[in-house]
Amino acid sequence: MSLEFRLAKRNIGRNLRRTGLTVAATVFAVFLVVVFVAMAAGMHEKMIEDGVRIHSGHLQVSGKDYLKKRTLEQFVDLDAELLTLLEQAPGALGVAPRVIGFGLASKGASTQGVAIFGVDPQREGTVSSLPTRVVSGVFVDGEGRGIVLGERLARNLGAEIGDELLLYSVAYSMETAYDLFTVVGTLRLPEPALERTLAVISLADAQAFFAYGDRVSEIAVLAKDAGHVDALEADLHAVLAKRGGPELELHTWAEVMPELKQFIFIDDAGMYIMLAILVVVVAFGILNTILMSVLERTRELGVMLALGLKPGSIFRVVYMESMLLASIGLVIGLALAIPVVLYFQGHPIPMSEELKGAAQIIAMEPVITFKLKPLNPLGSMITILGVAALAALYPALKASRARPVDALRSL
Amino acid sequence: MLEATDVWKVYETRGVETVALQGVNLVIDEGEFTALAGPSGSGKTTLLNLFGALDVPTRGTIHLEGQELSTLSSAQLAHLRLQKLGFIFQAYNLIPVLSARENVEFVMELQGVPAAERQERAMAMLAEVGLGDMADKRPMEMSGGQQQRVAVARAIVSRPRVVLADEPTANLDSKTAEKLLDLMQEMNQRHHVTFLFSTHDPMVIEKSRRTVRLRDGQVVDDELRAA
Repeated sequence: MSLEFRLAKRNIGRNLRRTGLTVAATVFAVFLVVVFVAMAAGMHEKMIEDGVRIHSGHLQVSGKDYLKKRTLEQFVDLDAELLTLLEQAPGALGVAPRVIGFGLASKGASTQGVAIFGVDPQREGTVSSLPTRVVSGVFVDGEGRGIVLGERLARNLGAEIGDELLLYSVAYSMETAYDLFTVVGTLRLPEPALERTLAVISLADAQAFFAYGDRVSEIAVLAKDAGHVDALEADLHAVLAKRGGPELELHTWAEVMPELKQFIFIDDAGMYIMLAILVVVVAFGILNTILMSVLERTRELGVMLALGLKPGSIFRVVYMESMLLASIGLVIGLALAIPVVLYFQGHPIPMSEELKGAAQIIAMEPVITFKLKPLNPLGSMITILGVAALAALYPALKASRARPVDALRSL
Repeated sequence: MLEATDVWKVYETRGVETVALQGVNLVIDEGEFTALAGPSGSGKTTLLNLFGALDVPTRGTIHLEGQELSTLSSAQLAHLRLQKLGFIFQAYNLIPVLSARENVEFVMELQGVPAAERQERAMAMLAEVGLGDMADKRPMEMSGGQQQRVAVARAIVSRPRVVLADEPTANLDSKTAEKLLDLMQEMNQRHHVTFLFSTHDPMVIEKSRRTVRLRDGQVVDDELRAA
């Protein structure tokens, strides 16, 4: 063990109370940073997952300007070749064509505005969670004009399983479209607004209803790995370019749901500002401890300089003290935080009744989820060590620049 | 060995000049056991600081073994202190986080002496100053006299050419102080190390072989006693 490291190690043991307090502050900060970042990662991942699995898929193929206008005028000509090409992309897990239109649903005297989702009963489940969200009855199967309603929509219409309701809208041909559908199931969704309007029918029924031929509004594509959407996007761009034909657009979930992307950005920004304040407080704690320790040892440092220890060695001793303090806090903090995060990663926390309302506003399921990504402890480590390195700079320079005669005052 | 030629030292604090040394001329030869005596403020410590390469004169020159100190950089001065000088301080000034043995080893470690050799030399020197059984004690576990003996061992073990001691007995009772002086004399004779110390303790002056008296920053008397 080098003399410098030995001195640094023993120096931090000189004032155990002060060292303990600084380490405790660091532990506290590391714990909060790891837990909060894991919580944000878990919640955001869940929100993206929910959004992707209900709305867009990770990627969405649509007609030109569909995202801007969202009418039946912007469409994709669906053919088996296109579906096969998309399904064979190496990173694609599932592909689901959809027709999306708007209209009115009536049962008796009750009428509600609805978002009509025409889905392929066989393929929809490979991309979205809609089939698994059925709480009563069954999902559409393409037989006998079945319709599945959001639970709230069904309640507002007073519709029950087996009831018939009238759906009407304007078809692609600009003629009035109307038809009777039989309620076969109801869905529960994390988004109350969508649950109040969603009406799911089969793709074939929707194409017939809107007089849409083989057209679809969009084709949602789910990636095998949410972390490799970029690669899939590049592959699909290549597939679409190679295929030629009418111009199609490819959008990521962030482009389809910009409000979700913005919410995550703002949420992250708020969290990182809070964590930055916490880290700055820790930095001042370390600075205070090291500076006090240096000032208390002015004479001792003078003696060491007088005896022949080089200023560079004094600098390194003080620097090592700071890094040791931070490292101890870091190790303990990580040792406490990681098991907590891993536990809650496997055991999401159900939200209280008060929080459930808030969760619904941002269309998320009322559970607090955690996700520990390798970058989290790694980032915490780099941040805390970086902060310790910065905080030690002034005391270390002050200590190393002392003149032995001034530090000693007398020989 | 040590030579001060027309040395002046002027301190300036908030625009007020204080003259600490006024044209001091002094030569210390190899193997001397010399006391710089004088009242507080006479310039003893300032002169020791200059001889110890810890400070530079305002005017005049200091030579150590023929080398003028003012021509050296701070790194060269640090190297010179490490290789040629030993220091004993009034307040012992041991490094509190190191044991007695590690304190004695400190300068040797900086000199790059191999671990086995420096441990052996440190233990031998501690035994020589009568502290062989206290090698693992930290300074706060030792008395003032014991600490000062460790400081003597630290100053000598690295085989310096000169040991500079600032009022080494000031914080010790008379009995302990006498023992320490006897020890320093023994080291002077056995290891042929030059000793130069500042003091106003009559007993220390009595035991020195040469006494240089300073008053108001000037040498006013230089008395040599028979060995």
